[in-house]
Amino acid sequence: MRSEGRRSLWLLWVGAVFVLILGAVTWLQWRQSQLVSEALLLGGDNNAHFLYQADNEYLRLRESWPRPAPEVSVDVAALQLRYDIFVSRIGVLRDSGRARQMALQPEVARALVAAQAFVARADALLGPGVPQPRAAQLAALYPELIALDAEMRALTQSASDLVAVAATRLTEAGREQNRIGLFMTLMLAFLAAGFAVLTFRELQREQKKRRQLEELTLSLSQAQRAAESAAAAKSAFLANMSHEIRTPFQGLQGMLGLLGKTRLNQSQANFLRIASSSASHLLAILNDILDASSLDSGAVKIVPAAVRLDDLLAEVEALMRPQAALKGLELRLVELPGLPLWAHLDPTRIRQVLFNLLSNAIKFTEVGSVTLEVAPIREAGDSSPVFALSFVISDTGIGMDEAGMSRLFERFAQGDDSRSRRFGGTGLGLEISRRLVRLMGGDISVTSKLGEGSRFVVSVPWVEPLNESTTGNAGYRTRDFKSIHAAGEISAEGVDAVRRHDTEVQISGEASDIGHVPVSRLRVLVAEDNEVNRFVMEAMLGQLGHDVQFAVDGVEAVRMANLHHWDIVLMDLHMPELDGLEATRAIRTGSDAVKAAVPIVALTADVFEETRRRCAAVGVSDFLTKPVSVAELKECLERICLTEDRSIRPA
Amino acid sequence: MGNDRRSLLAWCAVAAAGGFVGVATSSTLPRPSGPVILSIGGRVSITNASGTADFDMPMLERMPQSSITTKTPWYESARKFTGPLLRDVLAASGARGATIRAIALNDYKVEIPFEDAQKIDVVMARLLNDRPMPVREKGPLFIIYPFDDRPELRSATYFARCAWQLRTIEVV
Repeated sequence: MRSEGRRSLWLLWVGAVFVLILGAVTWLQWRQSQLVSEALLLGGDNNAHFLYQADNEYLRLRESWPRPAPEVSVDVAALQLRYDIFVSRIGVLRDSGRARQMALQPEVARALVAAQAFVARADALLGPGVPQPRAAQLAALYPELIALDAEMRALTQSASDLVAVAATRLTEAGREQNRIGLFMTLMLAFLAAGFAVLTFRELQREQKKRRQLEELTLSLSQAQRAAESAAAAKSAFLANMSHEIRTPFQGLQGMLGLLGKTRLNQSQANFLRIASSSASHLLAILNDILDASSLDSGAVKIVPAAVRLDDLLAEVEALMRPQAALKGLELRLVELPGLPLWAHLDPTRIRQVLFNLLSNAIKFTEVGSVTLEVAPIREAGDSSPVFALSFVISDTGIGMDEAGMSRLFERFAQGDDSRSRRFGGTGLGLEISRRLVRLMGGDISVTSKLGEGSRFVVSVPWVEPLNESTTGNAGYRTRDFKSIHAAGEISAEGVDAVRRHDTEVQISGEASDIGHVPVSRLRVLVAEDNEVNRFVMEAMLGQLGHDVQFAVDGVEAVRMANLHHWDIVLMDLHMPELDGLEATRAIRTGSDAVKAAVPIVALTADVFEETRRRCAAVGVSDFLTKPVSVAELKECLERICLTEDRSIRPA
Repeated sequence: MGNDRRSLLAWCAVAAAGGFVGVATSSTLPRPSGPVILSIGGRVSITNASGTADFDMPMLERMPQSSITTKTPWYESARKFTGPLLRDVLAASGARGATIRAIALNDYKVEIPFEDAQKIDVVMARLLNDRPMPVREKGPLFIIYPFDDRPELRSATYFARCAWQLRTIEVV
């Protein structure tokens, strides 16, 4: 810092001297040119010429002047002209600026005095306004004219001297000029050198700084690469763990489901219910963690579609109602007037958010009600266009204080520590919900008061669906139903409700309201390397009345797919020898067109978008996310049969 | 309409008259009535003597006059020089050439590029501080350049071209 200041001062000094010297040089040059101009005006180097001319005219006048004897005629006019010219020459010497310079030379001064004395006498005869003189009068003056000779000769001599003096002076002036020039040049050179040194040092410092910066950049980019590869490793680890955890889950939930079909006494049924609930809860936690991780890696994409709002809300309400009823709470759905019928939304994600918020509301409310109020948001007035939808979830529960609200959306945070002990949960649900809503271009806000309940407002931009008229209600429902079952990937407590709902449907054996044709006795090939899972699948498919055969790895799956005709292939993605993707590809590229077109449903434990994209790329027809419930399996088979347009009637 | 035509005709008349006057002034030169103080010879097309255009003082007086007030090497302070422009005097003699040679009473000779007269308002002075110049005061004619208005002319070359006691011009 100090040296910085010193260097700047130095530069300032050197710069100032530089400017000073350049100024001096400029001044000198200017002065020089002025002097030259001045000298020219004074006719400096022409003085000699004037002296010569004066002498010359003196000689010519003497030539013309009449001699005293013998008496001759005289051309007075010609003499007058010569005389006038001579006078003008003397006048030049006397009048002009050079007179003072030349008067310094005594010879010139003497000549001037003598010549002027002669002119004074001659003007009596030849001056202006004087009558024409006689020759004799003129001749009388001749001796005086002759007497001027010595002085006039001296003028020529002076002229020579003047030239010499001028030459000497010029030489000296040149020398002086050179000396000053040399001094200036040296000074400039010295200063330039100083500048060069300073600049060089500055450059070196800059270079050093740049090198340091480059090193820093390098180490930063290395650190970034390390971080990226760590993140990639984490993702891979999560994908693996996802698979590893879901596979035993498949067994656990499958077996619990099958156990529920058997004859149980009261306490056994109770144990089973608790075990099922625990398994569901564990799965919800796992899903939360995986969802948060997917959001972190940016793998989550919002996929909007045309959605009928009233259907969506009715479905959410229907699925949450049992949960509310269990706690004796009133669940109200309020659709405010002016709500659009259709919206362009990602139904899965909106549902996930609403499930999460409603589950929370139910969880933290002991008495009273939970309300879901949906309203259109307009710019101004009732007639202006809708630009957003607001979903308001309010409850009459325990509420939160300011501190609780401020930590609400933070990862792993719950209202307070005592709550987490009391209510459980991962604390990821709200964070996930908010991030999803923000991905949709909206936001979630909350107002709450301790002991007076909470109010969560979800607002998302409303976009009019493009193909409202062409999207029929039935089509919507089909897709909608499917997306519920794709909800294996969605998180939050709400999903448990979905699952429980499904389970109830399945257990009670009621036909779902979708109007699907029940299918049975399908010939199903299951490619599955895990023995427990094979057992589960066999039990489930058997229960649904289908014929099952197993392949224990990908190679066998391809072989068997080519060998027989199958109505459907359930393909586990993670298998030894040949994985599910490769096996699917092999089947799709088989020589028998009919066998190659067999519907293939991928069974996968991981829930990453990436996996889905890769499945779609090799020609997988549909997905089932492990753990698979009987209901999901049944619905999937029905869906496949419908879309494949195969009416397989019961035998 | 009629007015327009009349004014157009008037314009033509004026133009023709102007043209005629111009031709008349530049094609003939009256003979000098007083003493000849300037003779222009060489490549001249308008003459009033044997091969030269001669001028007396009244002829030069009748031309448009210009004044230059300037410092010179010949006087200590600035002086006012008055007379016709050199280019007008040359035009009056129908001079066409590359160089004019100015010769003074004392036989001083100097060559002046013809274009000096065209590009620079060179005055052929006949008055110094509004008074005629006798020979003994470097008269009667003095070629002078505007040194103060155009400092770049302050050089030995242009000082030398200022011929005083001018008597003769030869157009080469």
